[in-house]
Amino acid sequence: MTEPLLSVEDLYIRFKTYAGTVHAVNGMSFHIHPGEIFGLVGESGCGKSVTGLAVLGMVPYPGEVIAGRILFHGENLLQKNRREMEQIRGGRIAMIFQDPSASLNPVFTVGSQISRIIRHHRRVDRHEARALALAGFEAVGLPDPARIFRAYPHELSGGMQQRVMIAMALASGAELLIADEPTTALDVTIQAQILALLNDLRAAQGVSILLITHDLGVVAETCDRVGVAYAGSIVETGPTAQVLYQMKHPYTRGLLEALPRPSHRGKALQSIPGSVPSGLDLPSGCPFWPRCPEVMDICREQKPLPTRLDEVGHRVACHLYSREGQR
Amino acid sequence: MSRWEYIARRLLMAVVVLISVSIITFLIARVVPSDPAAAWVGPRPTQEQIAQAARQLGLDRPLYEQYLRYMRDILTGNFGVSIRTHQPILRDLRVFLPATLELVLAGMLMAVLIGIPLGVLSGAGKGSLLDHLTRLVSIAGVSMPTFWLGLLLQLFFFSRLGLLPLSGRLSTEISLTSPVVPITGMYTLDALVAGNWVAFKDALWHLILPAFTLATYPIGLTIRMTRSTMIEVLQEKYILAARAAGIPERTVLFVLALKNAITPTLTVLGLSFVYSLTGAILVEVIFAWPGLGSYVTDAVLSVDFPVIVSVTLVVTVFYVFINLFLDLAQAAIDPRVTLQ
Ligand SMILES: Nc1ncnc2c1ncn2[C@@H]1O[C@H](COP(=O)(O)OP(=O)(O)OP(=O)(O)O)[C@@H](O)[C@H]1O
Ligand SMILES: [Mg+2]
Repeated sequence: MTEPLLSVEDLYIRFKTYAGTVHAVNGMSFHIHPGEIFGLVGESGCGKSVTGLAVLGMVPYPGEVIAGRILFHGENLLQKNRREMEQIRGGRIAMIFQDPSASLNPVFTVGSQISRIIRHHRRVDRHEARALALAGFEAVGLPDPARIFRAYPHELSGGMQQRVMIAMALASGAELLIADEPTTALDVTIQAQILALLNDLRAAQGVSILLITHDLGVVAETCDRVGVAYAGSIVETGPTAQVLYQMKHPYTRGLLEALPRPSHRGKALQSIPGSVPSGLDLPSGCPFWPRCPEVMDICREQKPLPTRLDEVGHRVACHLYSREGQR
Repeated sequence: MSRWEYIARRLLMAVVVLISVSIITFLIARVVPSDPAAAWVGPRPTQEQIAQAARQLGLDRPLYEQYLRYMRDILTGNFGVSIRTHQPILRDLRVFLPATLELVLAGMLMAVLIGIPLGVLSGAGKGSLLDHLTRLVSIAGVSMPTFWLGLLLQLFFFSRLGLLPLSGRLSTEISLTSPVVPITGMYTLDALVAGNWVAFKDALWHLILPAFTLATYPIGLTIRMTRSTMIEVLQEKYILAARAAGIPERTVLFVLALKNAITPTLTVLGLSFVYSLTGAILVEVIFAWPGLGSYVTDAVLSVDFPVIVSVTLVVTVFYVFINLFLDLAQAAIDPRVTLQ
């Protein structure tokens, strides 16, 4: 097995607020191999975005990483200083966000924005930066790159804006792209095009992608492996096929049953009873037990550790499968 | 609409505004119950002298005729004669306007150079020590009485430290040994253009205290205005995206965010500028600076209406052009702004 490009190990992030301490991320662990698309999926508030930002060293105030390691090429990013992170951000790890129209600065041309990023990371002059930008626009399938370069963001459509964001992210040769809900704000056909583009870029440029989403459909379509997050940690992970079609964790099963499916037409949609625990007061033991249909005594006391289920790396953190739970 | 079409239309509007303002000021100046002809003649005049002066000044004519005659004169560059001093107004303006402009421009420059960076940094570090300090500075700047601040500065920098001159625009020795040849009438600029370094330094030293005294109010406004728009802009996704792309924080704040946040600050600065043209009177008095504020105040006190109308027109011209400039600047900064 190759060495992972990125591995997040036992990450804890909390926010100290006036209302109390919010435990946003609680022992998050996953890894991404070179050239892989890894889906991080989960309900709103389970710590997906905060984890993505933590990889770039950008956990927003008043949040802080209190434990864990984030290894990129084996080096712990949490120990890098500001200078080093300004080189890594956008240079080796790039991030794109949900709403492309809000992610572009309205008072600068698209060309000036992408050139600024390229010139920050590579020692090139204005003309070379422009050439690189135009090549980047071409690579993400934007028609008439020269016109795009001159345009202001509001002159482009949402799909084009997200392509521009992807071009910007990759123009400096990033190896890892963190895409936080990249298609949520776009309509369905454009969404499919952007996902196809991400897939092509992975194939063509070998870029690895951390795809953050709450949409299992998106995961099924694009991801090689997936991690299902609940209350700030991964409850089930593995190759997409294993997790989606041989799911083991009651939460994953609940998520899948909540999906609208043609075979279930006419029946009422299932939804998981109860609600996501707030990071303010997490239940002791397994965070899912208050909503779990198969809750046991041990679940209330002990947080389950991930158990390896097979040779392809399907793991689940649930006492139904843990050694402690079998006793 | 093209930019030139827009400018042309705005200039046409400006003419309309100027005519309206001139009519209003003219009427107000004439309606004020007083007798300019008597003032013209001097103390204890006879009836004949007053009547003769009234004829000479055209005050016996119907109002509209007085106005038309006045406007015709102005358009041919003749601003008339001050009733109080009997001096041609144009000659007075050539002295007082550049002096005021030099003072006010220097003050605005200070507001930009001090207020904008402090506003940006306190907006970026909301709640930080710097933010609390700049809050104090801006409250002090906005609320401290001008004359008091001016006197304090004189006391400290002139009396105590002996670093800066007390008042005036140029030292007497310098005006004798290396006189400034007037080009614009702004001494620092004229001395600079002529390469007259001795006079330049002297004029600049004279300028610092009054300009700073004048600047404290706009500095306070600029800090607060820039700070609050920066706080808003820094919440935006494109700032997060820029940081995620590794753009250094300095560039994020002073280029990427500031360009989005600058427009309200420019408006505040523009309005302060116009206000200070005649509103700097206290500074002018304390620092013996022969400016438009003192000039027009004297004119108001002696009902010297040709001067009042002329100064009002000059200020209106500035107001109109500054507003046009602000609109164009806003459109140049933000491509989503349409000119109409
Ligand atoms: N600035 C903040 N202050 C306090 N708590 C925060 C802050 N930002 C995030 N959190 C907390 O961290 C938790 C995780 O937030 P995060 O944005 O990572 O969720 P998410 O999984 O991305 O959800 P979504 O699908 O809504 O984007 C949330 O419960 C939230 O309360
Ligand atoms: Mg999110």
